[in-house]
Amino acid sequence: MNNLQLYNRVFIESFQVISDQLENLTYRSIPAWDSVGHMAMIAALEETFSIMFDPNDILDFTSYETGKQILTKYNILF
Amino acid sequence: MFLDLDEKEKSIIAAIDDRGVSTTYGEICGFAEEFCSLIKRRTLIFILSENSTGSLAGYIASLSGRIVPLLLSCNIDRGMLANLIAVYQPEYLWVPERYLSGFNYSLIFKKYEYILLKTGLKPFDLHDDLSLLLPTSGTTGSPKLVRHSYLNVEINARNVAASAGLVPEDRSIAILPMHFTMGLFVMNSHLVTGARVLLMQQSLTDRGFWQFIKDQKATNLSGVPYNFEVLYRLRFFRMDLPDLRLLIHGGGKLKYELFVEFAEYAGRTGKKFISGYGQTEGSSRMAFLKPEMALSKPGSIGKAITSGHLSLIDENGTEINEIEAVGEMVYRGPNVTLGYAQSGTDLAKGDENKGVLHTGDIARRDADGYYYVAGRLSRFLKLYGLRIDLDEIEHMIRSAFDMDSLCTGNDEKMIIKITDNTLKEEIHKYVIEKTGLFHTSVDVAVIEEIPRNEAGKKIY
Repeated sequence: MNNLQLYNRVFIESFQVISDQLENLTYRSIPAWDSVGHMAMIAALEETFSIMFDPNDILDFTSYETGKQILTKYNILF
Repeated sequence: MFLDLDEKEKSIIAAIDDRGVSTTYGEICGFAEEFCSLIKRRTLIFILSENSTGSLAGYIASLSGRIVPLLLSCNIDRGMLANLIAVYQPEYLWVPERYLSGFNYSLIFKKYEYILLKTGLKPFDLHDDLSLLLPTSGTTGSPKLVRHSYLNVEINARNVAASAGLVPEDRSIAILPMHFTMGLFVMNSHLVTGARVLLMQQSLTDRGFWQFIKDQKATNLSGVPYNFEVLYRLRFFRMDLPDLRLLIHGGGKLKYELFVEFAEYAGRTGKKFISGYGQTEGSSRMAFLKPEMALSKPGSIGKAITSGHLSLIDENGTEINEIEAVGEMVYRGPNVTLGYAQSGTDLAKGDENKGVLHTGDIARRDADGYYYVAGRLSRFLKLYGLRIDLDEIEHMIRSAFDMDSLCTGNDEKMIIKITDNTLKEEIHKYVIEKTGLFHTSVDVAVIEEIPRNEAGKKIY
């Protein structure tokens, strides 16, 4: 799987959504992406890409799209 | 008045929420008077609560005017709410204004983005001592409620305030929901002190949360173990929070390593870390560990609060006299609630507990008399600080699917065992929907048959 597929899989599994929903997904836009879901998704990304987020990035990670930009800081390129 | 709020400095802000709605002690007393003059008599009200000024004001006014509120989450499933209304027949509802269109009741009054609705229902008789009702479980919508007396609420507010050493200059973050006993008593204890409550709907993972508490110069933070895990993950120890002076932990067992980390952090930075223990049935706080003992008694819940008493009993219910011992914790004190209610007529009942509470928690007592929670006797889990009654989950599944299940788990996950493979996903979805739990914290497994002993009782 490439990085985008891995990234998508984390979202789909963390929030139980389908791939069509991903593009517009933002924090708190669906019940599953609440505070608890957020930390679970962050943990899953850290595990998938073997990285450790800076706390500021955890707070700034407010949408599916922003998340991709944040990950580039950790050399995860799409 | 409730918590002697009319004796506090009138111009001081009692509460401000993260939408910017605030109220002073003077204003809240005026509001309470107006609220009660509209309702006029002792009756039952449901408050669809959230951590906002309107929600808090309605609660304070009700307690001040001897109107008995049941606090529910404003996100409660509407089917469950309808069921609770049918069982308890509240004469009034106090709900966020944005939900107006969801109710067919007459609008009486509006303030702080909340509305007062009159249902036209006829309330049941309310016992003279009954002050407040809280759900036993915030999630399953069970009609089983905990009945509090006026003394319970007043004394626990004062005990929490005294044990934590609260002062009028304190500004406390309130992240735990109001319908959750610990969340409510964080608010009560600061109000009785004449301090300020910062009502948060945002959570630790919101950028706005941190901005708000910095702007408000928050001094105190109370949370459940999950909150402390998130704080740790956000590298809380490296944040610059010069105003913060007090961290209070309760509502479950914090992992030992985290307990030590937070105790050390507090020691290093001159802040205080208090570990506490409580239950809804004990009006929240029953025991706490003094902050100066956090490093020498890590993992401990300390000793009973002032005016309370803790003891251990063995399997036969006999009190254990040896100092070092393990057994079920029994608590005695004026904050032990009156009992449960399961129907409208139960609201007329008086004190059934007589100040004694069998906690259902197994604890160890060390040679110095400090208590450590070691396990649990009763069938409930604590997930994200929420109490999940496993028998209620089984009951829910039985009602919805007409089938037996076996619910177990630990404080990280609930495990539901069923025998019908075809319902696996549907039950998972149903339980998530009804409880609002995160989907990875519920597992559904299929087994051959539900194990039972010779008497037909389930074996867990």
